[in-house]
Amino acid sequence: MTPTSLQKPRPSRTRAFALVAGLCLVAVAAIVVVAALGEHRSSTNAAVGVVGKPATPPRPGVKPGSVLVRAVDKRDPRLNGPATMVPLAGGRPRRAPLSCERIALAADGGICLQLQHSGVDWKAVLFDSRFRVRHKIGLTGVPSRARVSPDGRYGAYTTFVTGDSYAHPGTFSTRTKIVDMHRGTVIADLEQFKAYRGGDRLDAPDVNYWGVTFSGDPGRFYATLATHGKTYLVAGNLRTRRLDTLRENVECPSLSPDGRRIAFKKRVGGPGHWRLHVLDLKTLRDHPLSERRSIDDQVEWLDNRNVLYGDGHDVYEARADGGGSPRRLLARADSPTVQPAR
Amino acid sequence: MYQVESSRTLLQPRPAATRRRSLRVPRTVVLLGVTSLFTDVSSEMVTTVLPLYVFFALGASPLQVSLVDGLYQGATAILRVAGGFVADRWRRHKEVAAVGYGISAVCKLGLFALGGALGAVASIIVVDRAGKGLRTGPRDAMISFSSSREGLATAFGVHRALDTAGAMLGPLIAFGMLLLAPRDFHSVFLVSFCFALLGLSVLVLLVEPARRARHRAAGSQSWQAAKRAMAAGPFRRLVIAGMVLSLATISDGLFYLGLQRRLDFDLSVFPLLFVGTAVVYMTLAVPAGQLADRIGRGKVLVGAYLLLIPVYAALLVTSLPVLGLAACLLLLGAWYAATDGVLAALASAELPEDARATGLSVLGAVTGLARLVSALLFGALWTVAGIQVAAIVFAGLLVVAALTAALLIRHDSDIAPEAAA
Repeated sequence: MTPTSLQKPRPSRTRAFALVAGLCLVAVAAIVVVAALGEHRSSTNAAVGVVGKPATPPRPGVKPGSVLVRAVDKRDPRLNGPATMVPLAGGRPRRAPLSCERIALAADGGICLQLQHSGVDWKAVLFDSRFRVRHKIGLTGVPSRARVSPDGRYGAYTTFVTGDSYAHPGTFSTRTKIVDMHRGTVIADLEQFKAYRGGDRLDAPDVNYWGVTFSGDPGRFYATLATHGKTYLVAGNLRTRRLDTLRENVECPSLSPDGRRIAFKKRVGGPGHWRLHVLDLKTLRDHPLSERRSIDDQVEWLDNRNVLYGDGHDVYEARADGGGSPRRLLARADSPTVQPAR
Repeated sequence: MYQVESSRTLLQPRPAATRRRSLRVPRTVVLLGVTSLFTDVSSEMVTTVLPLYVFFALGASPLQVSLVDGLYQGATAILRVAGGFVADRWRRHKEVAAVGYGISAVCKLGLFALGGALGAVASIIVVDRAGKGLRTGPRDAMISFSSSREGLATAFGVHRALDTAGAMLGPLIAFGMLLLAPRDFHSVFLVSFCFALLGLSVLVLLVEPARRARHRAAGSQSWQAAKRAMAAGPFRRLVIAGMVLSLATISDGLFYLGLQRRLDFDLSVFPLLFVGTAVVYMTLAVPAGQLADRIGRGKVLVGAYLLLIPVYAALLVTSLPVLGLAACLLLLGAWYAATDGVLAALASAELPEDARATGLSVLGAVTGLARLVSALLFGALWTVAGIQVAAIVFAGLLVVAALTAALLIRHDSDIAPEAAA
């Protein structure tokens, strides 16, 4: 029963190992150097041209106001794209001095969720009506949704957070926070609110929130709550820090300007397959929109009759009553946010 | 040739005199630890960037990503036992472990070469976990073969410390690379492959499997031998003890989540909790093993579970000073250090050599499944009754489990090694 701790490998093997180890180290060094040089090249390129051409609208209708989008780079559709103002009445799109993955604007300010240079961390950039940066807030996770309240006081964003590899490999959860747009402070994390379903407290470890939409009534909002594989539309109140479920199977709600309807994505069929719907808040009845493809976006209302949404490549317009057919409004654009005419 | 010659001298085992007497760890154990270190650097590099990669480069929705997760849990349990059995049956522990490490290395290359589609990535991940399942039992058996009976827990402690060091280095290297070259995931996969290859070559080229008495088990008897060993009282009691203890353990991920919900600290602190626990684990793994070898492995194992009671209590309070949080991490890390390797040492001491890899794999599979059940149970309790109730119930379960385990393990004379020494 003597342990064999003193057995030495044959010299030829030791030599072979030294060779493999040497090769591996040289390879690692080479890969890192090549990667770093490649990054240097691409960042100098980016400074010259950046993502494609500005989104040129194919003659948008004669609607007043304008829509702010981010230009989409075909090669890297999910990465920062330059924020671009497109006048809805026609005219040249104007590029704003900000690049974002998701952008929202209302009243006197906006929020831009932005990938930082490291490639692994993001910031929420709060800007004023002239695109000057007011505040920056660090984000946990990958940005997904952004919204600003109609009065410009509150902003909201949702990020995907990866469960740490140690315990839950590959699992995601979401974080949704509400910020004070002027002070640049986080005033609420929806997970800290008390949620109720028909008077019963909902307190499960797997509760997630996403897709806030603000009401015209200050401090009130709607969002999606998910638990046990189901999603709910919740109505929230910043003052009481309380959320109440209204209905099942509602994701990424978006409140109409008149505050009476909610456009949302409804899961139809398997996971990752949605159809855009509009819900009447009074009757809680919904109807599908004319878009038949699965869309993963938080809809934006163009006015009380029409909505905008992106499919990751282009921005489309559809009628809120479900009639007609979707129309491509802006090419190579994403994350539309409407500035109505005064 | 000069280079090779000089590195050869570097690779000679360090003279025992330079180490502390009590830490005389067999060369094979250190080499297996180094294998695990490199392999963990490799796999943690990938686990760190994979969610980002899947999200960015493949445009998959998070929902699709989490579907992958549930897939491998059951599959690896079966493969684990099969790997252990094959290793025992043909006395090929090193070869089976090498296949396991090799599969994972090839998977890293696969991510680089054909990681362009979500389906491919998902299958590669599943195969990678299969490789992990396959190698664990035979590798732990090899650790036990090359250690003295009195130093088993110390040997496992050394291995686990090196293993954890790799798990901490991996994410650092991955993030460092992404800082240098943002979004260049393919380079990360390539470097990860290099580390996997390094780990594999340490195992294949440097580890000399212990020459064991081959006459003891002629192949055809080994199925009987395995069955006999699994049915033997002491081992069966140990598996039950391990299962009961695992059932009463809150997974650390859920624990951190609960702590965050109750104490409302910033989410950016979250990864630090894992790092803090891992640092403590790494530091204490060897001392905990030495303590177990000296005062009794069963005592240390069961005692470590009692460390968790104050940790669970932290879920009941509404405010916890930073020091309290640090104490929680310290206790959690100590618990890891005093349980994972010690349990493997306990089992190794109970198992005959010709069924050791099988037995270790069975133990690993049973405790792994028990942890899964406990996570589901805790989640359900949290949902239905709230986190405080869940924490109290689990604290109660823990006391019962610790008592049960103490009774189960106490029966076995082997557990107190000082009696034998």
